[in-house]
Amino acid sequence: MKFTIIKDLSQDSMMKPILSGLLLFTILYLLSDIIVKHNSFGVLPNAIEMTLFGNEEEFLEGMGKTLFLEFWHVEIFFIMMVVFISSTIYTRLSNASKSAVVIVNIMMISSMISLISLPIAYFLSSYFISVYAVTFFIWHFLALYISLFSIKRLYYA
Amino acid sequence: MHKAYKISIIYFSLFVLLLLTSGYMIFELKIGFDAQRALSYYMGNEESFLAAKTNSGILKITLGHIFGFALLSMVVLHFLVFTKYRNKMFTKTLIYTILIAQFFEIFTPFLIINVSEVFIYLKIISFFVYMGLIPTVLYLLFDSIVQIKN
Repeated sequence: MKFTIIKDLSQDSMMKPILSGLLLFTILYLLSDIIVKHNSFGVLPNAIEMTLFGNEEEFLEGMGKTLFLEFWHVEIFFIMMVVFISSTIYTRLSNASKSAVVIVNIMMISSMISLISLPIAYFLSSYFISVYAVTFFIWHFLALYISLFSIKRLYYA
Repeated sequence: MHKAYKISIIYFSLFVLLLLTSGYMIFELKIGFDAQRALSYYMGNEESFLAAKTNSGILKITLGHIFGFALLSMVVLHFLVFTKYRNKMFTKTLIYTILIAQFFEIFTPFLIINVSEVFIYLKIISFFVYMGLIPTVLYLLFDSIVQIKN
């Protein structure tokens, strides 16, 4: 959180490369996350439903309760860290403008809905799979935008 | 503190509560809060076809948690520096209690299988202490945030 109290981050020769590295790796993480999810858990409603509940016709077993909870637990941890760190940097570099606060709020709320809709979909109603899929893409897109915007601000402010 | 940072901390607190909820659900499902059931999880149980845990098996589970607990506690606790509770005896006690609880929460399984089954109680107690104190810190943060004007 040191970067929140440095006056001009783009002129700070120490913090500038450190934050650039963090943001670059955040972008790589977000892109990798979409690819890995696409190949394993699924990112589209049909694929997610197949992973969670299986398919009797194709003799595919659904995800066990323990495995699901462990997956959800790890997801919460990573999403929490990614959205919190990227939003703090973005808020600082955009001088906490009104539009930045709106974008951060949408990203936070969509990531939160994404995480909450997952167990609801698993335990209560599969309808929430669509809610998870939509909010998954919203927060990923906004996190990518936030990271790219922050890098731009660091070098072309 | 700028309003935007306050909002970020409130969102972060909600994520932490979600993380604790999922942790509680996993603990209840896999280990259980009843001492006998929790002991079966570590020492094995022929009737339930549960194999006893080994040191390497426990290390595999704890590996991610050692880093995860440390990072989570650091992020949550460091916010206290920005609050009115900074440098208070109560806050320091809270910090040390959380760190000690998380140490026992992570490492008591090794004591259970290698030293004595009695440590199962320490495992369950440390889990509840951690689960109770982290939300307490979040409450203190929330209480300070709503009172800070700028």
